[in-house]
Amino acid sequence: MSGTEYFPQKIFIEKGSLNFPLTRRILKNASRVPVEVINHPQDLIEEIKEARDEPSEEKKYLLLTRQKGKFIKPCPCTPHYLGCNYYIINLNLNCPLSCSYCVLQQYLANPMITVHVNIEDLWRELDNFLEKKGKKAIRIGTGELADSLAIDHLTENSSDLISYFKGKENALLELKTKTVNIKNILKAEPAQNVVIAWSLSSSRIADREEKGAPAVEQRINAARRVSEKGFWVAFHFDPIIRYPGWEKDYEEVVKSLLKAVDPARISWISLGSLRFVPVLKTIILARFPKTKLVYDEFVKGKDGKLRYFRPLRLELYKKIVGFIKKWGGQKIRLYLCMENDDIWRDVIGWVPRGKESLERYLALPLGSSRKE
Amino acid sequence: MKREKLSLKEIDLKDERFRISYFFSLDKLAASIKEVGLLNPPLVTQREGRFILVSGWKRVMACLSLSFSPIPVLVIPGKGELETFLLAFYENLAAREFSLIEKAEILARLKKFGEDEKRIVRQYLPLLDIPQTLFHFDSYLAFFRFESELKKIIHRRNFPFPLAKLFTEFSSSERKQILPLVSGLSQNKVTEFVESLKEVSRRDGHPVRKILASGEIKDILGSPRLSSFQRAEKIRLVLKKKRYPTLSSWEKSFDSLRKKLRWPREIALNPSPFFEEKRLSVTFNFESQQEFRASLLRLEELASRREFSELFKFK
Repeated sequence: MSGTEYFPQKIFIEKGSLNFPLTRRILKNASRVPVEVINHPQDLIEEIKEARDEPSEEKKYLLLTRQKGKFIKPCPCTPHYLGCNYYIINLNLNCPLSCSYCVLQQYLANPMITVHVNIEDLWRELDNFLEKKGKKAIRIGTGELADSLAIDHLTENSSDLISYFKGKENALLELKTKTVNIKNILKAEPAQNVVIAWSLSSSRIADREEKGAPAVEQRINAARRVSEKGFWVAFHFDPIIRYPGWEKDYEEVVKSLLKAVDPARISWISLGSLRFVPVLKTIILARFPKTKLVYDEFVKGKDGKLRYFRPLRLELYKKIVGFIKKWGGQKIRLYLCMENDDIWRDVIGWVPRGKESLERYLALPLGSSRKE
Repeated sequence: MKREKLSLKEIDLKDERFRISYFFSLDKLAASIKEVGLLNPPLVTQREGRFILVSGWKRVMACLSLSFSPIPVLVIPGKGELETFLLAFYENLAAREFSLIEKAEILARLKKFGEDEKRIVRQYLPLLDIPQTLFHFDSYLAFFRFESELKKIIHRRNFPFPLAKLFTEFSSSERKQILPLVSGLSQNKVTEFVESLKEVSRRDGHPVRKILASGEIKDILGSPRLSSFQRAEKIRLVLKKKRYPTLSSWEKSFDSLRKKLRWPREIALNPSPFFEEKRLSVTFNFESQQEFRASLLRLEELASRREFSELFKFK
């Protein structure tokens, strides 16, 4: 992608998904892309899963289908580690980027870039969901099983989501991306409960392990423009990856981020070190045989996932938090993704009492401190 | 198919084009044939005027070991290679489980006899309980190309797919170097040995030969006092240390401290697995109030020592 917009080589539309407004919009925005209507997407999915060169094969096509289950689900997080009570909207699945470490390679049964076009059902589901939650503050996002903006030039979903959430007082929408696909964001009216977030790594990791993603500097520049437009922005240093010289590279990213973006406009920064289920290691090595990132000191955590040995994680987090504070981010809310009490205490200085306490810490700024 | 009797000399056993099983023990089958004869005739076919064996290698080998000849056979009329092989395949499929190496032999032959790759993946992999992906198909073809000695070990010791797959990461000459070193180890330890070696090699960009010739390992390999099992064990530990230097140094320090404190064996002191949490645990067994008190006193005495506080440096 590298800053250029993604267009699939072909769009497959499940027969029953033809007559949705979102389908028509995507076809209009990708008018030059060949289209095929199919009866059984599963056959196509199986064919792609069988392919020898899966990483590029699955990115060639876009599948338009309907969400037959629920759009909204609690973020799966991980057992035995602290979660943040986040909700995810499964509007799109997968993304055109090919990050070697991406968990979706293992997590999704359907490897194709997929758009669920029955978005009208999402609005209904969201109405019910928010009504049930009442006054309880919730954070919700579209960037867990997909990149929120990578195909936004085709779907324009960001505009609809921002319009929907604007004024929904207790809900905070996060659109999380690695791309610079911000055209629709810049056209939208900023909403105080919408946060546009970027995943950041060091430039070396972006260059070597995030095939197709824009350079880190480009991402920061996009964040600056979005922030200047009046949106809240957030950043996820996740996954943080160790290699010789990582300290210097990560400090450079933090420094340029906090120089470019006003820290007062940053809702939060999350930190998470590289972690993966053991089977993902096999997948990573089969698809990215030259990568060395899995050869560091990973040990099995209580949830069965492989994580850096604790003192190494602690060093990563402490140093990056130090960089954030050094370069002007002293007041930015920080949180750790999928970490245990010991690490929280040593890095952040306190331990959330359960998921909801962390949720309040991150979502409550919807109130006074967030207002301009 | 025609039933005939053939003397063993009439069957060209050098032609192994349809053979999928190599590593078997004949004792029980030979005993059975000796008692009741050969009840289930092997399948043969004719090629260039010769009879060649399609299925029933174990039965024929057992007969050969007993000089039991002639034997009853079923002669498959002239069919193509693939069609003939499929007869053998389906005959075996219904009768027994295939080992990993036999599956590799089957898939390699299907490919060799011209079966379409997609058809192999979709139709045959599920029959063999293999996930339907080209990744798995390619892996099994790589197992087929393994050296005979390695195939034999994988078959006999029933190595699982992930362990066999690890050996595909090495060249043939590297595998020949590794195999004698690991053959005496348990399956888990073979995995750990081979995985550490591969990962250290990839991480540091050093060939296996260079790692195995490095100081510590070279000394172990050159030590005449060590048995081959002891050598393998020591090399495994050296490789683990190279692969996980920080974890190994923590484990070593913790052990040293336990020794320094003269921690009693009957009271177990352990960090959390991989030191993932700061908490330590102490466990002991007791049968009476007296034993319980004795352990508590012992613990109190240990806690009063200056070195005890060092246990909490593992943060």
